[in-house]
Amino acid sequence: MIGIRLENIVKSFRSELILEGLNLTIEEGKFFALLGPSGCGKTTLLRLIAGFEMVDSGKIFLGDQDITQLPIHERPIKTVFQSYALFPHMNVFDNVAYGLRIKKLAPALVEQKVTRMLKAVHLDAHQYKSISQLSGGQQQRVALARAIVNEPDVLLLDEPLAALDPSLREKMLVELVDLQEKYKTTFIYVTHDQAEALAVADEMAIMNLDGVIEQIGSPKQVYEFPASSFVAQFVGTTNIFKGVIRQERYLQVQGLGELEVVLPADKRWAREGSHVCMSLRPEKIEITKQQTAGFSNMLTGVVEAIVYQGRYTQYKVRLKNDTSILVFEQNEEHFPQQEIDYFDEVLLYWQKENATLLER
Amino acid sequence: MAFHALVTRYGSFALAVPALIWQVCFLYLPVIFVLSDSFLSGSGSLWQRLSVEHYAVIVDSLHARVMVRSLVQALVVACSCLLIGYPVTYLCALKARRLKSIFLFLLMLPFWTNILVHIYAWFFVLERNGLINSILMRLGIIHEPIAFLYTNAAVTLVMIYSYLPFMVLPLLSALEKFNTTLIEASLDLGATPTSTFFNITLPLTMPAVRTGFFLVFVPVFGEYAIPTLVGGGKSLNVGSMISAYYLEARNPALGSAFTVVSSMVILVVVWLLYYLLSGPKRAKEHA
Repeated sequence: MIGIRLENIVKSFRSELILEGLNLTIEEGKFFALLGPSGCGKTTLLRLIAGFEMVDSGKIFLGDQDITQLPIHERPIKTVFQSYALFPHMNVFDNVAYGLRIKKLAPALVEQKVTRMLKAVHLDAHQYKSISQLSGGQQQRVALARAIVNEPDVLLLDEPLAALDPSLREKMLVELVDLQEKYKTTFIYVTHDQAEALAVADEMAIMNLDGVIEQIGSPKQVYEFPASSFVAQFVGTTNIFKGVIRQERYLQVQGLGELEVVLPADKRWAREGSHVCMSLRPEKIEITKQQTAGFSNMLTGVVEAIVYQGRYTQYKVRLKNDTSILVFEQNEEHFPQQEIDYFDEVLLYWQKENATLLER
Repeated sequence: MAFHALVTRYGSFALAVPALIWQVCFLYLPVIFVLSDSFLSGSGSLWQRLSVEHYAVIVDSLHARVMVRSLVQALVVACSCLLIGYPVTYLCALKARRLKSIFLFLLMLPFWTNILVHIYAWFFVLERNGLINSILMRLGIIHEPIAFLYTNAAVTLVMIYSYLPFMVLPLLSALEKFNTTLIEASLDLGATPTSTFFNITLPLTMPAVRTGFFLVFVPVFGEYAIPTLVGGGKSLNVGSMISAYYLEARNPALGSAFTVVSSMVILVVVWLLYYLLSGPKRAKEHA
């Protein structure tokens, strides 16, 4: 249970720079999610920590120990691979026992640890099956067990649920969180799926396509207070308005007039006349056909598309300036007081506190 | 029966007919001739002619020694091909991404040239005034040329060279599609590169090792051209013994008997080696 510290990591493949001086500290015992679009370098970062790749420059610390030059097999870090990478010529038990046997643990101890581990991942009934006899979810659990049974300081998970179907994925997410709480190991979970990251992480980092980390924070911080429009758009769904700050309380948007905003006090870029963005989450907007009091902002528009999603309905509304925004409305009632249909004129209300001003 | 039904019923069988005709005419029939030659002697009815007297001649220490020599020869060549071929193929398939095609071309070269051509090419290397002797003399390491040609060592060398592709091809096809993530997983779980090789890579490529081993072992056991030309026919082996009976002694009966016995020997040896090369793990799995 020791944290990881990355200092100034530089890595390139065939003259293509993937990571350019990356710094990151991951505290011990955290469930840390590394979220980014495909090809942003998050898997490279994971492979550097595991030791499959070596850094061009920079240092990797595990606790206080510099592990930058340590070969893979000497690092107290274990990996759960996206493809599971289970050994096909061994049964479930032998797969899980592999690391312990390599360490030359006494056979009785190996037996005891593996049995306990298999019970923890609900595979005790399958221990003598061969890998090919297992379902995807079971193989996933073997991969987890094989790594965790070695009691690593850090567990790396490389999109471990990508190969599972959605319902199984949700179940495995819960199991992952349970396992992390049980073993208190530092988990580093790499994914491009923001919903997964939000669901499991204590803390998450969002990486952009240039391999730069744009924000680190709890899922709630990242979702509610994104640090950039990239983060706002990548984590969840949002509407971005571009405009100019006026009179320290308005955002002047082309064709929409002035929207009331809250300026972040500590941000020097948020000044009179500066060009900024505003992120407004679709679920923070109230959609209605009647005048309503008590909101600081109101826009009018025409319903362009309606997608019924069961627990909520998604509206696409065309505004006066010919841009569209998304609105999510909870389906709270069987018989709503007002039906909103295609081409209806609607009013959109939100509170200024629920929008976030962004530098870019 | 309607034509269509015939085709659906026997259609797939019909596809095998050309190959079957070939097999019957050029493999099964000759084998039957050899068998009958080996069991028949004298004159009279078929029953009266039936005898094992040729086998009585064949089963002696001289013939046994020839067979053992060929088996040892085959074992040495097959093991050498494995020990040379595996590391090279491993590097080719998993490490040397760009140089791969050049490596492969050089390895496969003997495969594409006529066997007589590359045997005689070796003459230029090995003979008294050949490449090796002239280099050694020029360097002053030796003063008299060494007789490389017509030795057992030369025969083994040329055999290894000629049969290496048969080892490399199955290994290459196995190692090229080998899932290298398994190697990473093993290292990740704390195994050293060496123990990863013996725990993961080797067991998983064992079927290819076995295939390559037998593709070298079996033909080398009966190899005729290389021992005759490079070895100068000085020491008898199975191939030259059979040809001596048929072509020089004009005794097809003894030749056939010897052929049958050596075929039996190689069958048994291959069967034993097959289980030996399966490894103990697989046996446990089936138990």
